[in-house]
Amino acid sequence: MSGPLRALAGLALAAGATLGVVGLSRVPYAEDRGAAGELRLAWRWKSERVRQCRKLSPAEVAKLPAHMRRAEDCQRGLRPWRLVVAVDGGAASDDTIRARGAESDRPLFVFRRLPLVPGSHAVRVRFSPVGEGGPAAVGLDTVVGIAARRVVLVTMAEDTSRLVFRTASP
Amino acid sequence: MAHRITDGLRQPLARVDAALNRLYGWRYNPLYHSGVLAASLLAVVMLTGLYLVFFWGISAPYASVEHITTRVFLGRFARSLHRYASDAAIAAVAVHLARVWLQRRTWGPRVLAWLTGFLLLGTIWIFGLTGYAMVWDVQGLALVREGARWLDALPLFSEPISRAFDGERAMPGAFFFLNLFAHVALPVALGVLFWLHVSRVARPHLLPPRGLLVAAVGLLVAASVLLPVRMAPPADVLALPGAAPYDLFYAFFLPLTRGLSPWAVWLAAAALVAAILLVPALTRPRVEARPPSVVDERSCTGCEQCWLDCPYEAIRMVERTDGRPYLVARVDPTLCTSCGICAGSCAPMGVGPPGRTGKDQLAAARRFAAAHPAGGRDVVVVACRQSGGGAAAGELDGAPVFPVSCSGNLHTSVVELLVRSGAGGVLVVACPPRDCWSREGPVWLEQRLFMGREAELRSRVDPRRVRVVHAGEGERAAARAALRAFREEVRSLAAQAAEDPADLERECAEPPPVPEPLGRLVTR
Repeated sequence: MSGPLRALAGLALAAGATLGVVGLSRVPYAEDRGAAGELRLAWRWKSERVRQCRKLSPAEVAKLPAHMRRAEDCQRGLRPWRLVVAVDGGAASDDTIRARGAESDRPLFVFRRLPLVPGSHAVRVRFSPVGEGGPAAVGLDTVVGIAARRVVLVTMAEDTSRLVFRTASP
Repeated sequence: MAHRITDGLRQPLARVDAALNRLYGWRYNPLYHSGVLAASLLAVVMLTGLYLVFFWGISAPYASVEHITTRVFLGRFARSLHRYASDAAIAAVAVHLARVWLQRRTWGPRVLAWLTGFLLLGTIWIFGLTGYAMVWDVQGLALVREGARWLDALPLFSEPISRAFDGERAMPGAFFFLNLFAHVALPVALGVLFWLHVSRVARPHLLPPRGLLVAAVGLLVAASVLLPVRMAPPADVLALPGAAPYDLFYAFFLPLTRGLSPWAVWLAAAALVAAILLVPALTRPRVEARPPSVVDERSCTGCEQCWLDCPYEAIRMVERTDGRPYLVARVDPTLCTSCGICAGSCAPMGVGPPGRTGKDQLAAARRFAAAHPAGGRDVVVVACRQSGGGAAAGELDGAPVFPVSCSGNLHTSVVELLVRSGAGGVLVVACPPRDCWSREGPVWLEQRLFMGREAELRSRVDPRRVRVVHAGEGERAAARAALRAFREEVRSLAAQAAEDPADLERECAEPPPVPEPLGRLVTR
């Protein structure tokens, strides 16, 4: 290869490598393909403390080290809640939301993403305490319009007493 | 197994090196300078970042970046250069790590450089991610959300940090403040890691050749002017973004990890880290194959040349215990990579790896000369095993090849012996200096042969009969061409008469003259 030809090839390669860097720095990529929208449920919920105790049998007490013997075994933590979501009359989600943390004493966090085709949808959300007693359930029955590639967020209102939906960022 | 993988992958690398050497010459082959190129590009990133940060606003990140891109003087250019230089830096670091791995330069004193190299790569990557979060466009949001998803799987935070990005509440300003702090603080970590990275090597190279540096930065400047970055759509937590431009140097993982659970991602990351930690152990040769250098204290004159030449600072000069009034070299076997450069630096042949000291080389060269009697106009090749000199084949275009582990290991007495045994000329095929597996072998070799560096080639050897050519592993053709040209030159010289080189051995065997006492203990 002659000198000028080599210089030209060297320049072309260097320019190609630079174009490669530029090209790889702007590769078109879609995080979510398609035109579907999304129903997103997200809120924080401070559940109430519950304590469930049961009496230990004499045999169970005897198994415990002397300094740890007690009459009752109590499980403590925050009450779990059940989340049921129906869209257009069909069940979309049915889960129990439990408190986080080793002692189950952190607030409950709801985060669900449900893809939906664009259009109007009847959405029914029911968030109710699990177990005996407890506060009243909260719910939302509404019709939401979901546009292509947009999110309808169902979240707890500021006063944490009712669910609301939102279509624009706060 | 690990060696077979590296040997197999090194062949294509050698071919690419050879092609680039043909185009740019070994002095400007960018692959040989990938490490220092990365460092220089990071300097460009920091300089442009310093300019950009003056115009960036925590309260309106996207709007401020848009302002920089459209209104600020040189803003679009600085932002483009900032991005392209950081992309090229990632690529350069990846190339550098791949080279080091394939050349198995990851064990012994190089373990620290290997591990800090990966920490540097990780830090640069996180540095880039925090930069993209500052732009707060769709890519920034996607990167942040994915990172939050991984972190939320760990029992670290009392509340899931993903909440900040799901639209339930306004974006907390603290996030952008912390992100800015991380983006500005990470260069400090980079500085510390870079210092550690080069701390175990003597005379580290910190800059590429000026021409290469100017060309690399110039090309990125041209790209920043001609193909500046554009604004992607802003982050919207209640939108599902369509196709947008993503930087694959930093966001390469998104298509791979989005379908995986966070624990699968952590498991994959842990496996990668384990593999990286294992590389030094897997690439380390057996001690018998690469024994550390030893010092024959009776021969050591305390001249300090091995201490000066060692590329890994594995040699110290210490007080003698035999009463002689000068220092003696002492090798730290944990730092020695058995490159043998000390053997080439020691005129009285008193140091080197067992089997490759100057004396061992001289004995091997005598056997070689006896087995390959050369005519007065024949050329003998001395080839580094990593070079394209045909060390494994034992011959290069009909010329017998005397192999050495590294050209820096070659003792100049071997060259003298070959010439005085009747060879018309000695062609030494060395690796390109910036690609020497032992860092400095070809540099010291040339200085010993032609510039009078200690353990120099004696003046009684006609320097026209000695030639050094740099030809990497994939450059057999270049070595052949150099051999052809050298043969022509040697033919024009008078035939070299064979003489008895026995006095070379006597010189080695004789006790060295006692030098002037140095009177101090030298430490580095």
